[in-house]
Amino acid sequence: MNPISRPALAMLILALTFLLGPFIVIFVAGFSADETLAFPPTSYGLRWFGYLFGVEAFQRSFVTSLVVGAGSTLAALAFGVPVAYALSRYDFRGKDALRGLLTLPLVVPGIIVGLALLDLMVLVYALPVTLGLLIGHTTLLIPYTVRVVGSSLSNLRSDIDDAAITLGATRLQAFFKVVLPNIRGGVAAAAVLAFITSFNQVPVSLFLTGPGVSTLPIEMMAYMETSYDPSIAALSTLLVLFTIAVVAATEKLLGISKYV
Amino acid sequence: MRSRIPWWLLAPALALVGLLFVLPVAALLAGAFKIDGHLGLAHFTAFFDEPLHTQVYWRTLRIAGLATVVSALVCYPAAMAMVKVPARWRGLLTGLVILPLMVSPIARTYSWIVLLGRNGLANSLLVGSGVFDEPATLLFTEGAVFVGLLQLMMPLMLLSLVSALENLPPDVLAAAQTLGANRWQSFARVVLPLTQEGLIVGGTLVFTGCVTAFITPALLGGPKVLMLETLLYQKVNVASDMAAASVIAVLLLLTTIVVNQVLKRVSR
Amino acid sequence: MKRRRWMACLLLAALAGPAVQAETRSLVLSTYGLNNDLFKKHVYDPFKARCGCEIVLETGNASDRLAKLEARRNNPNVDVVQITDFLALDASNKGLLQAIDYTKLKNLDQVYDFGRDPLRNQQAVAYTVYSVGLVVRTDKPSGAIASWKDLWRPDLKGHLMLANITGNQGLAQLFMVDRAWGGVATDMSTGFTKLGEVKAGTVTYYTQTAQMTALFAQDEAWVAPVGRFGWLNLKKTGKPLKWVVPKEGQVGMMNVMGIVKGSKNADLAHQLIDFWLSKDVQTALANDLADSPINRNTKPNPEAAEALTWGKAQIDSLVFMKPEMVARERAGWVTQWNRMIAK
Repeated sequence: MNPISRPALAMLILALTFLLGPFIVIFVAGFSADETLAFPPTSYGLRWFGYLFGVEAFQRSFVTSLVVGAGSTLAALAFGVPVAYALSRYDFRGKDALRGLLTLPLVVPGIIVGLALLDLMVLVYALPVTLGLLIGHTTLLIPYTVRVVGSSLSNLRSDIDDAAITLGATRLQAFFKVVLPNIRGGVAAAAVLAFITSFNQVPVSLFLTGPGVSTLPIEMMAYMETSYDPSIAALSTLLVLFTIAVVAATEKLLGISKYV
Repeated sequence: MRSRIPWWLLAPALALVGLLFVLPVAALLAGAFKIDGHLGLAHFTAFFDEPLHTQVYWRTLRIAGLATVVSALVCYPAAMAMVKVPARWRGLLTGLVILPLMVSPIARTYSWIVLLGRNGLANSLLVGSGVFDEPATLLFTEGAVFVGLLQLMMPLMLLSLVSALENLPPDVLAAAQTLGANRWQSFARVVLPLTQEGLIVGGTLVFTGCVTAFITPALLGGPKVLMLETLLYQKVNVASDMAAASVIAVLLLLTTIVVNQVLKRVSR
Repeated sequence: MKRRRWMACLLLAALAGPAVQAETRSLVLSTYGLNNDLFKKHVYDPFKARCGCEIVLETGNASDRLAKLEARRNNPNVDVVQITDFLALDASNKGLLQAIDYTKLKNLDQVYDFGRDPLRNQQAVAYTVYSVGLVVRTDKPSGAIASWKDLWRPDLKGHLMLANITGNQGLAQLFMVDRAWGGVATDMSTGFTKLGEVKAGTVTYYTQTAQMTALFAQDEAWVAPVGRFGWLNLKKTGKPLKWVVPKEGQVGMMNVMGIVKGSKNADLAHQLIDFWLSKDVQTALANDLADSPINRNTKPNPEAAEALTWGKAQIDSLVFMKPEMVARERAGWVTQWNRMIAK
């Protein structure tokens, strides 16, 4: 194995510093005890973390974001894994068109999607708000699940399922007993990516939320439009820690790093 | 490989995306083509008649394109280093790369405001090292938007390239070098073609992300650096001009498709 | 058999549950995201106790909320909307509001004249008024500013911050600048020309209150037109700042309350509006610096009064923009503005 070349390593370190540097600012600012956001802070403390737990809007919307995130991730996997399987194991005309179609949610500006879905969900179907959010998010997440699971499926040789079938399994059994366990890393990675995307989603959620039902990033945005204090930095830090915990747990249990 | 279309696998996703996404969005975007009840392109010509709009369009393409190119240039070597990192550190590294995606775009943008401000770190370094005599105006420029978007989108390119490079058999590079290729040749002739899928996906994700970004250009660039998405929001929220908004959305869609196709041809 | 009876009972209880719940009505208020903890303390909680109802909030910035109102016009889920006056006129023109029965508002006669029927169609009542004036750094050349025209001083170059046209302060700013420089037409051409002159020296055109505060805090800006509600946060930055009432006057802006057409809770809506206008509520909100009072009988305590738009001197200095003019001209102004900035 070739050792890592110096310039490549330098680029990697440069990239990581660039990507993580601003986060250091936020991390430190969260521990500020000042009245307003100043960097570097003149005093330190946990006061703004404490403040966060008293803001009802953040608490309620955190729960909503969790529920919508988990629900839409599961749904996106349920809809997307079969498609990924079809794309990898079957050869048919229109594959490219299908891939293109399923990438559309990534490409259309969020505000347009939000308005379009609002028109549909509210006006045509009069759906309850949370259900509308779930459906909207699921549609946005399908491109991710199809792509990530598809990428790990392509690493798994297709003769494995054929072998299982030759040995007497039905295609369905072959899928659940042979294929799925082997791609669980990819599925886990897709789940994590999808959940994070849903959790951070703003433009579409903006239109689909209604009185009393809101998601955390929208509440954060609303708060940040008017208040200039370290609580947002503290909240961002908490969310990062929360996500790290989720990713670390998934990594420990299922091993995702190969499939991201 | 079977060749019948497996409808039962595709139907649920197709139904969801088709009925609950494509149809409503198409209905909305159709407004760009309707003038007084019949079809036409008058909205498009009216849009481009305004020199400001053309300027905004080119600026958006420029910044997004530059961000895509720079991220590819930085991430290729970075990804090549990353795939060679011992397995036990890989999880941590991947996590670190994903971490910026976890942080709310608003918080990330505010940290750039702090870093690029008059009293910020960037200016302290520039003035301290003698490059400038006094703090430069870094904020509210195209440069600030570029840097903010680059940082936002780079993990996507990095992860796509890592994913593509991982599927590369390790002996391929060694084989090329045994056959006499130097470093650059083995990269350009061997690695690049074999990982082009990753470059296309990464490039499309970065470009699309830049073109549809809202918060970063809005806060780091401000009204002086209007981009397509900020213009779109204005059309919807302030001017209530859904026709113009639909025109912009259609433009964004077409541009992304074109860029995707171009990337596919270029890396061939 | 016993099991079936149990199930039937459970089912009935489950159905009855929501029926019992339905006794508690919900009043949905669409409002700004700022200071809702103070409104909860002084308005929502006391009102809930009085009416035995629930108050549910929909928060966000005005344009998003208006867009949602319009999208849901046939099936509204909001009862009362709090929004700036010209946007309320927009909503009214689009048929989204219903008439207010003024006889139900007992506190209306305590409201300043200009706030009673700001849209002139009996579809809205003002609940607060705020001034748009100038905030300046006292320790910099900006400390000498006394007039809107002083913003053109060359020693402010690079430290002048203006509001973007997409926000209320931006409209107020355009209006006053045009007026100060002698403009007469509603196309604001004088204003645009003058604003174009200082474009190079402008740090940015702020779109959010927090952004404006950040730029003052980071020494980027020395002066900016600001809405009075932002003064509290600016004081917290600890920078040496003062509020200037320019000699040409300040723009008075009103936020109004309207009842959404199709609301099934119009009676509760009237009660909430009347409650909000009452002297006690207005005084409590004023003392906590949540909103400047619209009730002329409000007497905030002296320290609060200093940070509010209150008192004869301040109120008399207010210049109002006609909401009809703003609603009509705004789209054109925005296009002109973007052109001016892009050049």
